[in-house]
Amino acid sequence: MLKNIYLNFKKYTFLMGQMVSRDFKVKYKRSVLGIIWSLLYPLLQMIVMALIFSQMFRFKMEGVNYLVYLMTGLVMFNYFSEASSSAMGSVCANFNLMNKVYIPKYIFPLSKCLFVGINFLLTLIPLLLIILFSGDATTHCTINIYYLLLPISYICLFLFTVGLGFILSTISVFLRDIFYIYGIIMTMWQYFTPLFYDISMIDPKLQIIFKFNPLYLYIDFTRQIILYGHNPDLFTWLGCIISSVLVFGFGCILFKKKQDKFIYYA
Amino acid sequence: MITVKNVTMKFNLGIEKDNTFKQIFIDIFTPKKKKKKKEYFSALTDVSFEVKKGEVLGLIGSNGAGKSTLLKVVSGVMKPTEGTVETRGAISPMIELGAGMDGELTARENIFLNGAVMGYSKDFLESKFDEIVEFSELKDFLDVPVKNFSSGMTAKLAFSVATIVDPEILIVDEILSVGDIKFQEKSKNKMLSMIKGGTTVLYVSHSLKSIEELCDRVIWLEHGKVVEIGNTKEVCKHYYDAQMSN
Repeated sequence: MLKNIYLNFKKYTFLMGQMVSRDFKVKYKRSVLGIIWSLLYPLLQMIVMALIFSQMFRFKMEGVNYLVYLMTGLVMFNYFSEASSSAMGSVCANFNLMNKVYIPKYIFPLSKCLFVGINFLLTLIPLLLIILFSGDATTHCTINIYYLLLPISYICLFLFTVGLGFILSTISVFLRDIFYIYGIIMTMWQYFTPLFYDISMIDPKLQIIFKFNPLYLYIDFTRQIILYGHNPDLFTWLGCIISSVLVFGFGCILFKKKQDKFIYYA
Repeated sequence: MITVKNVTMKFNLGIEKDNTFKQIFIDIFTPKKKKKKKEYFSALTDVSFEVKKGEVLGLIGSNGAGKSTLLKVVSGVMKPTEGTVETRGAISPMIELGAGMDGELTARENIFLNGAVMGYSKDFLESKFDEIVEFSELKDFLDVPVKNFSSGMTAKLAFSVATIVDPEILIVDEILSVGDIKFQEKSKNKMLSMIKGGTTVLYVSHSLKSIEELCDRVIWLEHGKVVEIGNTKEVCKHYYDAQMSN
């Protein structure tokens, strides 16, 4: 069975590549700077956020480079929010195509997550620049051996996002209301994830709940490495891996189970 | 080879209404007895047949008989409600051309995108690229976005991509002849040569003349049920007589 999944996957990698490159071409069509926007946009966004939170609100954290703190979280959260939203709409947007030829339907949400994922990888470049060139003597971050673990948290984030994308796109077929509902959920999620603030600033009772937010776990994983230069603690490790595998697995099963019905709800 | 066994395809006609808040609200206040049962429409009922390797099977029937649904079931776009469809070999559905084309992309890019959607591999497309371009007669417009194409040009491009394969199983919904007179002739001949080329073909048409000319056997479908399978001439004659006597 696994071999079948692999062969099927391999057969459609070309199509997936084509769809991802289509998204790129369409996105930057007729823009003068083109793909440079992929770097510039997050960079400018970061600068705006940095100005608002560190200059206007004067957020500070003792002994921590606040700018890096903010950006490590934002980059990951932005990926999640953009990828999951576009994956959610991808199945409904392609009803037309599904009605014409047979294509495995998982390709639609997955290619969206990959497309936004490539953009995400590009945003790591400005992030790296910020890490290297910001902060004063006490808060300056340096690159350490644990950076090698960073891909793990990104992979967990990716799996979680793809899994959720499967779940959302399945729901969206049967219940279009989810597009609006998810918008609200996203806004809440953004404020309930410690992006701008530190988790220790909230009521200790609530902290436990906050710590079970998978996104917080992935972000915290990278922060422990980038900001504090140590191996993430066991709770974070387990939380990241378990939550991502669970959501990914559940998403795959749900999607597979319902995919044959999609076409009747076009 | 295509084996279709006891295929039944049901559509829920109430699907549009079921999911709205209004309907849920009404349902709460409707006593159980009065609730309407879900309305099902059977597009296909217990259809079984087999297309042998290299055989050309014709499919006839009046509008709404279930021909297109059957093609969709065979090509894998829809899963049958009951029954099984077994196919051996790669399927080329020539039902609707240009699937997945994006108007924002150029003709060159669309050849690859559309080709990928049709299930071609990268190597295959690269090796056939020149042939596709030549057939489409669009060499000078390769780097123009397809949205600027006339509908005839788009159709030519889509046709050229779709017919570049030597398919193992070919599913055809009417002989397509697109474009101007010259290209119409060319595309018609291309399709005829594909059908006659010895592959397994499932061919739908309203033109009894071309059915009689091309098919080894014919299925006559009416209201989703098989009326008759067999010898091309006989089935066509029965079908024609039945149509005209009404």
